[in-house]
Amino acid sequence: MQLQDKQRIAILSAYALALHGFESLLPTPIPWLKPGLANIITLVALILYGFRTALFVTLIRVVLASILIGTFLGPAFILSAGGGIASVLAMGLSIKLFKNLFGTVGISLIGALFHNIAQLSLAYFLFIQRIEAVLIISPLIVLLGSVTGILNGIISDILIKSLLKKDSERIQNVSEG
Amino acid sequence: MKETIKNTTLADRLLFIFLISVSIAGIFISRDALSHGSDVIIELDGKPAYTLPLYANRLLSVGGPYGITLIEIQGGKVRVKEAHCRNQICVREGWISKGVIVCLPNKLVIIVGGSKKNKQQGIDAITG
Repeated sequence: MQLQDKQRIAILSAYALALHGFESLLPTPIPWLKPGLANIITLVALILYGFRTALFVTLIRVVLASILIGTFLGPAFILSAGGGIASVLAMGLSIKLFKNLFGTVGISLIGALFHNIAQLSLAYFLFIQRIEAVLIISPLIVLLGSVTGILNGIISDILIKSLLKKDSERIQNVSEG
Repeated sequence: MKETIKNTTLADRLLFIFLISVSIAGIFISRDALSHGSDVIIELDGKPAYTLPLYANRLLSVGGPYGITLIEIQGGKVRVKEAHCRNQICVREGWISKGVIVCLPNKLVIIVGGSKKNKQQGIDAITG
């Protein structure tokens, strides 16, 4: 791994960590309902810099955030890590498999869906073990996840476009100067 | 933002519509299935004795070591109406629409659940 990659991962992880922390301060009607803002950074990292960067950013964010919030290795950490890893894998795979079929918003939706699937399965196998409770809550979670997935996807798309624009402007300036 | 929405691919939109409609349908289906599919399972001495629908009102008397226990099912809820055990905790438990009522002296277990698979899980209260 080059120094530039390491710097990139560090900066992106810091952004993701900040969003994760900010999100945990937001008051929500139900305690486990979160907008998943840190996924914006994961998605930007994935599309601009590739799968490995996105995976590193997610792992660093999940571990550091849980240490800072105080849930490291607890149930919330397992759910958070499982959801995060599943969502990066799903998004990375769908970019690789269906190259131009999905845009940023579609990839974000896939990430949100697999985040929810992973968390629900982990919650079922490790903590709840009552299938009727999981079944009754799943559609609601998928619905809310799709709404936040769309919003995060739109934000990511705007972010990616402005970053690409800045990059191309800088390259132009360098070549002109 | 407008530009972003305009630039979404067909697959993006189809996926969104699919997820939203499936999850909304799922909310209704799961509620429906769970509210009508529930059974009351009554176990005597550790063996299932009766399986009754939760949505058919009836009064049932079962025998046990402490005499006859009256179980009432009404409006999707079940309770022990009358029991002749010492501390009457199962009677004081009142109406339940899910979970379990256990009366240890009478070796009686009342389970409200969707299917037989769930009957070993989810004990909400144990009464004597």
